[in-house]
Amino acid sequence: MPSASGVSRRTVLQAATLAAVPGIKRAAAAADPIKIGLPVAVTGPAGGIGTQMRRACEFWAKQVNAKGGLLGGRQIQLIVEDTGGNPATCVRKAQEMVERDGVRIITCIVASNEALATVPKLAEWDTIFVSGDNGDGRLTAESLVPNFFRPNVSGPMGTRAVALWLRDSPLKNFYGLGMDYAWGHNSMDVFQEESKKAGRNFLGAVFSPIGTKDFSTYITKIRQSGADGVYLVLSGDDYNAFLSQAKQYRLGDKVQMLTEQVDEMVLDATGDASVGVIGGSRYPNTLDNPQNKEFVAAWKAEYGKVPWMFEGDQYQSCVVLQAGIEKAGSIEAAKLRAALEGLQVTSIKGPITLRACDHQAEQPGFIVKVEKDAAGKASPKVIASYPADKITPPCNKMTYTD
Amino acid sequence: MDLVGFLVTQCLNAFSQAALLFFLGVGLTLIFGIMRIVNFAHGTFYMLGAFIGYTAVRLTGSFWAALVVAPVLAGAIGSAFELGLLRRLYKRDASAFLMVTFGLTLILEELIRLTWGVQALQIDVPDALSGVVFLFDEPFPVYRLFLAAAGAVVAIAIWQFLERTRLGLLIRATSQNAEMVHALGVDVNRVRSGIFGIGCGLAAFGGVLAAPLLTASLGMAANAVIDAFVIVIIGGMGSFLGSLIAAVLVAFVEVFGNYFFPDFALAAMYLLMLLVLVIRPGGLLGKEA
Repeated sequence: MPSASGVSRRTVLQAATLAAVPGIKRAAAAADPIKIGLPVAVTGPAGGIGTQMRRACEFWAKQVNAKGGLLGGRQIQLIVEDTGGNPATCVRKAQEMVERDGVRIITCIVASNEALATVPKLAEWDTIFVSGDNGDGRLTAESLVPNFFRPNVSGPMGTRAVALWLRDSPLKNFYGLGMDYAWGHNSMDVFQEESKKAGRNFLGAVFSPIGTKDFSTYITKIRQSGADGVYLVLSGDDYNAFLSQAKQYRLGDKVQMLTEQVDEMVLDATGDASVGVIGGSRYPNTLDNPQNKEFVAAWKAEYGKVPWMFEGDQYQSCVVLQAGIEKAGSIEAAKLRAALEGLQVTSIKGPITLRACDHQAEQPGFIVKVEKDAAGKASPKVIASYPADKITPPCNKMTYTD
Repeated sequence: MDLVGFLVTQCLNAFSQAALLFFLGVGLTLIFGIMRIVNFAHGTFYMLGAFIGYTAVRLTGSFWAALVVAPVLAGAIGSAFELGLLRRLYKRDASAFLMVTFGLTLILEELIRLTWGVQALQIDVPDALSGVVFLFDEPFPVYRLFLAAAGAVVAIAIWQFLERTRLGLLIRATSQNAEMVHALGVDVNRVRSGIFGIGCGLAAFGGVLAAPLLTASLGMAANAVIDAFVIVIIGGMGSFLGSLIAAVLVAFVEVFGNYFFPDFALAAMYLLMLLVLVIRPGGLLGKEA
């Protein structure tokens, strides 16, 4: 619509844009940023994990940029889009990043089903995907593609640590409480198998529907089973409710609570109620090595709290990616892939190797127990760790020989 | 634990759950009785109670303060909503109320997300109630006994309020014949805002009490609103006594059903509802089908 002066607003805007463009172009030519795509679920059920992972990427990018960027002064530019945890949305957002923004590296995809939907497209996009938390064993086995790398701990590796701990544990008799859907049942089956391999008795399991609010009958059943350990496959609100109520019933006095993964989100929500729980951890922030201490101190200075498990694991993936880019001297997929294969990095979990055969990083596994720290806050403390060669499965495999 | 011990502890468990269900259901049924509207946002007020309660505990250090502040604030928000929006819709049909209260649900949930974040938040059991008593050599949480007692006290208080106070009388009268009450010179609209506020406040009261068992989380509302509807349908829409009986029935069916038939845990409540509706289509104490 023409304005009073007879010049349309659009014309003015066009003129302004044209005037500004040469300036932008000159600045860009000096140091073309390295664009990294983050199709990350920050809403939906996985939103809590996604928020942690995004924060880790932002922290890493800020660190790198403060030191002058990579490849001779190129800044890291993160392109962030919310997927809501939906695989189709994830693929669409990633494709937009590749086609519209010229992204050649993606990371920070939260859910394994999103990752599984994305990997078949990587070759066509000529893009490298560095996983930050995706656990599905298939990603480095039957679904492996050349442009996918997994510096983080996989699901089978997490379970493996728990299985190894079982073999040394003083506990004899186990009972299980799981959420009544695929994950709850699968995970319980794996645990039952492992407890038998370890020569322990598995007395039985009960499954609670998603959204259970009153756990009193399940607590009664655990008690009546006579087990000295209970394996919990619960998540979200159900897990928080169970821990709160178990504490009120003093369940922990008689029964050791075990879980696949000790996640600080649950510790934060339930506080004292989580004290005593034993489980695996992808990254315990109390690890005693210089890289980790430096990372934790910098993180605390930035956010005023210690880094959590998914933050640490995603950060490690960013550090591996950084080492790969520096070694390749380029972000071209072919060069970066060659650099990442067999790459050795001393990361916050110590020395790790991104092996060439299936693109899985060989790294140690940890078992933690929730204890109160000096400030009286529930936090995971490492009670056992297992070396990389015991934790990492054979190449292209999801299962172990023993 | 012998059979007697088992029965006693499970009955106490059931009564503690019945109390929480009652706080949720009674507000919804009172609102329906007076206003003939289905308040879809009821579960959201329950959740709002838990979150306000969390902040109140944080600021004052007192669970008891939270138990007063949360219902009062949530009740005030409820009344304001009735005054500002629902009042304009009384001439419309029921679907308008469903849509408006559903809209309120979305807005409140988003506001809660923006205010308190996505993380679940913990309200500790107050020190005085954090212990256990030994029943038949097994520890039983004092807090659950407190919940059952609180349920009984609130039920008696509401009953006395409805029977003995002038406002209670007006509420009962309005639920029977609003035009007549209006014709006798009573401002029916004020009764309506009052009861909407009281109903929302009761839900928030339940939310604060439930939080130490569940943590305050964004999943609370969707879960609670279904329970509230089931209680109201089983008890009979608009019946105070019906909601009390329904809450106790549902709690017992859930606790004992979960124990003996864990595979049917999800279905227990709905099977009970189905059974009641087949026998008495208007609910246990409902007026008509």
